[in-house]
Amino acid sequence: MVLITVRLPRGATLDMALRELRLKKEEVDVGYGVVAIDPDHGLYGLRVSAMAAHRLTATPEAMDGPWADPKIEPMGPPRKDR
Amino acid sequence: MRVLVQLRPAPDVVAAVADPTVTATAADVANGLPGVLLDPTFTPVAVPRPLPARAGGDPLSLNQPLIFSMAPRDASVLVRGEIADDEVSTRLALLPGRGGVVGVYADPVIQTSLTCGGDGPVGGWRDVRRLLAVERLHAEGYDGSGVALAVTDTGVNQRHVSAALGGDFTLDRERSWSPDGVLGRPGEFDVDHGTMCAFDALLAAPKASVIDIPVLLSRRPGGSALDGLLSDAMAAFAHLRTVLDAQPAESRALVVTNSWGSFSPDWDFPPGHPGNYSDNPAHPFNLIVGSLAAAGADILFAAGNCGRECPDGRCAYPDQPITGANSHPAVLSVAGVDVTGERVGYSSQGPGRLADRKPDLAAYTHFAGSGAFGPGEPDSGTSAACPVAAGVVAAIRSRVPSTVLSPSDLRTLLMRSADDRGVLGYDYDYGYGVVNVPGIVEALHARATGVVV
Repeated sequence: MVLITVRLPRGATLDMALRELRLKKEEVDVGYGVVAIDPDHGLYGLRVSAMAAHRLTATPEAMDGPWADPKIEPMGPPRKDR
Repeated sequence: MRVLVQLRPAPDVVAAVADPTVTATAADVANGLPGVLLDPTFTPVAVPRPLPARAGGDPLSLNQPLIFSMAPRDASVLVRGEIADDEVSTRLALLPGRGGVVGVYADPVIQTSLTCGGDGPVGGWRDVRRLLAVERLHAEGYDGSGVALAVTDTGVNQRHVSAALGGDFTLDRERSWSPDGVLGRPGEFDVDHGTMCAFDALLAAPKASVIDIPVLLSRRPGGSALDGLLSDAMAAFAHLRTVLDAQPAESRALVVTNSWGSFSPDWDFPPGHPGNYSDNPAHPFNLIVGSLAAAGADILFAAGNCGRECPDGRCAYPDQPITGANSHPAVLSVAGVDVTGERVGYSSQGPGRLADRKPDLAAYTHFAGSGAFGPGEPDSGTSAACPVAAGVVAAIRSRVPSTVLSPSDLRTLLMRSADDRGVLGYDYDYGYGVVNVPGIVEALHARATGVVV
């Protein structure tokens, strides 16, 4: 699964995103859902399969990405290293 | 250039300097050395003369058995002074032989060894409270009341935090949130990093309502550079936006403390790639951070533990280790100092990748605190410094909602009132300095009464 961003109307739902982007449920991380990044400007994020992302890049106005989704970790405690 | 000047004055002057019952001054010893600005605060020091221990020894060699004579005819005297940087070579050539000068030596700055990972605690949490002037904060009504304090980390163990603090606190289960697939209930997670963060944030803001966001417990399948967990932090921030939007404007107060980051460029697209995170303000996580801050949240990130003196072994960026949202212009990026005010050696130095002037300021760390990592283990890393600073912000917010003082203006106030360390003004070690509660309170008073400070 890869992270992409899309423009959708305010209050968008996963079903709305699937319809707008012509995606099947199995191509999307349903547990992750649709995340409002900037609801005032209709920017949302979702995680889709690499194949679906590749297909969507054919219509670049539909989406941005794929975006890096790096591993994040607690900063500490620092390990001794001197 | 600061220098030590070695002089051989008259024996009676040397005797006076060596006599602990007599207080000699630099002027008594060296009455005017051309081009040297003597330091009158430095008491002259008598230095013994090395002499061969055996008869017939080489009087110029130090590589033989020696005795050290403090006899007035043998000993010399050191005074301290300064030579203008553009005159150093001339003065060093001319001074020996004049006015009893026998040598001129550099007087470099010396430092104690910085605190590093693995070192024992430096001070305790009561020291941190004292340094944060918590009693004064609370006396003025800044205690975190009515403030939502989100800890995005490994989850909070409420029982452990309460026991360590010696008192209960409010854990807001209703507004807490977990990524999909994370099991466990708010406030009941294993004692770990997130428990430490909650404890440290509550030091200054014991009446804040803690929102438990165990984003670092997420374990999504995958493992490539494209399939990690930053997306879970993005979902967490989207949840926090709903928390913020639901608050009445007249008491809007949400503080978000983030003691996490991405350690390796291997998990990211390279800088310049359109999908990159570390250097790219257009990455969706960096956008949601900016969006949440613009809506009124105070967001703090740990600067990281990749300081040059003793970096965490996980640090993989060859330079500029304050990356991504940890260096976002709309967050407060927090460096670490121990309770003596010295930067800890692992605290990451700027410049940041999204904004140059990172870290913004420093807060206390490496103290005996929550005991989350076991007895005798300190609350350490910029992981602890960040929630300590977040607690101060939460305390302030109990009387000053973000609709009255925007997150941006509050950051400015915190930076302007910080206790300057390192070089004069901003520097990449301490930012604008160490968080300074009395200075903040004074600035808030001045602001309330319309006095510009």
